[in-house]
Amino acid sequence: MEWLFNFPFVMKPDLNAIDSAVRGFALWASPVLDGISGGLTALVNGIGWLLAHIPWFLLIGAVFFLGWKSRKSIRSGILYAALLALIGVVGYWNAMITTLAIVMAGVMISLLIGLPVGILLSTSRRLNNFARPVLDTMQTMPVFVYLIPALLFFGLGSPSAVIATVIYAVVPVIRLTSLGIRQVDREVVEAAASFGSTRMQALFKVQIPQALPTIMTGVNQTLMMAMAMVVTCSMIGARGLGVEVLNAVNRIEMGRGIISGASVVILAVILDRVTQGWFGKEEK
Amino acid sequence: MKKIAAFLLALSLIFTAAGCSSSPAASGSSGAAAPKEKTDLVFADVGWDSIKFHNAVAGLIAEKVFGYTWTETPASTPISHEALMKGEIDVHMETWTDNLPDYAGDLAAGKLTELGVNFDDNIQGFYIPRYVADENPGLKSVADLKDYAHLFPDPDSPGKARIFGGIPGWSITEIMEKKVQYYGLDSQYNYVIPGSDAAMNATIISAWDKKEPVVFYYWEPTWLMGLYDFVLLEDAPYDAAAYFEGKTACPSVRVNVCVSNDFAASNPEFCEFLSKYHTSSALTSEGLAYLQQNAGSTYRDAAAWFLKEGHPELVDQFLTSEQASRLREAL
Repeated sequence: MEWLFNFPFVMKPDLNAIDSAVRGFALWASPVLDGISGGLTALVNGIGWLLAHIPWFLLIGAVFFLGWKSRKSIRSGILYAALLALIGVVGYWNAMITTLAIVMAGVMISLLIGLPVGILLSTSRRLNNFARPVLDTMQTMPVFVYLIPALLFFGLGSPSAVIATVIYAVVPVIRLTSLGIRQVDREVVEAAASFGSTRMQALFKVQIPQALPTIMTGVNQTLMMAMAMVVTCSMIGARGLGVEVLNAVNRIEMGRGIISGASVVILAVILDRVTQGWFGKEEK
Repeated sequence: MKKIAAFLLALSLIFTAAGCSSSPAASGSSGAAAPKEKTDLVFADVGWDSIKFHNAVAGLIAEKVFGYTWTETPASTPISHEALMKGEIDVHMETWTDNLPDYAGDLAAGKLTELGVNFDDNIQGFYIPRYVADENPGLKSVADLKDYAHLFPDPDSPGKARIFGGIPGWSITEIMEKKVQYYGLDSQYNYVIPGSDAAMNATIISAWDKKEPVVFYYWEPTWLMGLYDFVLLEDAPYDAAAYFEGKTACPSVRVNVCVSNDFAASNPEFCEFLSKYHTSSALTSEGLAYLQQNAGSTYRDAAAWFLKEGHPELVDQFLTSEQASRLREAL
């Protein structure tokens, strides 16, 4: 009766061959990979330098202004500025700047890749069907499975962290851009066509503006997912708030964990609220 | 209305099932005068291959001599220590006593039972690859590192070098950081904490493949040290007080076999075997080398080889003569 419950056919693939292939590729493609790695490091360091050289009160003031304008209420502005100041009060200001630099680099690259790909996918159903399993894999594949090869290719620290963030965070913007454009009323597109616009004109002047609320939701979600990767990135050597959380977890220091975790949450909430209000669609 | 009723019914069924399935196990462990012998053992798996090897050896003996079944629970070092004290993990084959800052206190407070020393001849410290040592014969000790900062550039901060430390949560990580400061290296080197075992190993392997210089904290016995040729940087002779300030070489850590108090009470015979479980760094490395050289072999295979062909004399050391003959028959 055992045969009923034990899977009958097991044939393990040659794992050593896969390992050697990956490591061989890392060596062979080393010039290109090192170039990418250097570029990413420069990007993150550049953003970090910029943020670190803004005086702290200017940054808090900027958050106050953005919060006020995007939520149309002074109370929101004051609240967000106060929360940001709180991160500084608990001593995590520099860590926050470092984390912000990595997140912003990741989001910038995600948007640069994701928006065009989303627009491309919206044009053809067949492309969309092909892309869906790829996007699903990118979101559900356990992170360390592609992180270890990423470490071998790009090295410890910011480059791999940005790559990991991009792989995870680019998916919402692709999906929602494609969805938003495809959901624009066909009659609106037909009306544009009947007025003599070409397909590209219809795309850029009619469909994308109509789809903007959905696209902005995609951008906002990308930002949130990038924040969610902060702690995972610290496990591959990225510095910032994630390292504090990791230390707290590893040493079973719950107080430190709560405070550093709360700082991550505050940063995420501020980024979320500030970017949401920009194009009118508000989530209460 | 029907949907709500169906939902509530399903919810109550789930809770009842959960309650029934957990109660026999939960009620068994409290207040029994003579604790029942545990037949399904839980070993700690902190991720290193040396502990998996020792788990396999002890587990094989548990199966063949005592007729137990066993499993491993993965957890990080501090968490497996907590679980051992709580009784959720039964046996920890490799308690690196120096890496747990509260170990001495917990032992004195009687929160766990220390059975014996697994091995105490391991080595820790800063290592460099053999090709770096060959090309730079002047780089022999930790103090020499200040003249060789140009070899180890840090891409994240141009102009500075980097030296890799331990994993967050280990005491050794802070001691190595103090060492970098004590030798005045922190002006030239950034002390980088890799964040996880996997990241550390991947970084070292990547540097080895590209033949790039790298300096990092590591320890033996491990598969990495067995497989690649790394050279330990020398340091001042060990002194107990100065060690914690990072001024001296690392002592060999006493790596103990520990069990939870509940397990010590419920399985005294198995604990007697465990208290005789003494190996060495060299023996552990042999077991790990077997795994590396025999592709496709599992830790069980290595354990079986170890007890049968590699070091059959250990069987007599660990077990009574009756248990030893039972094991030999089974193997």
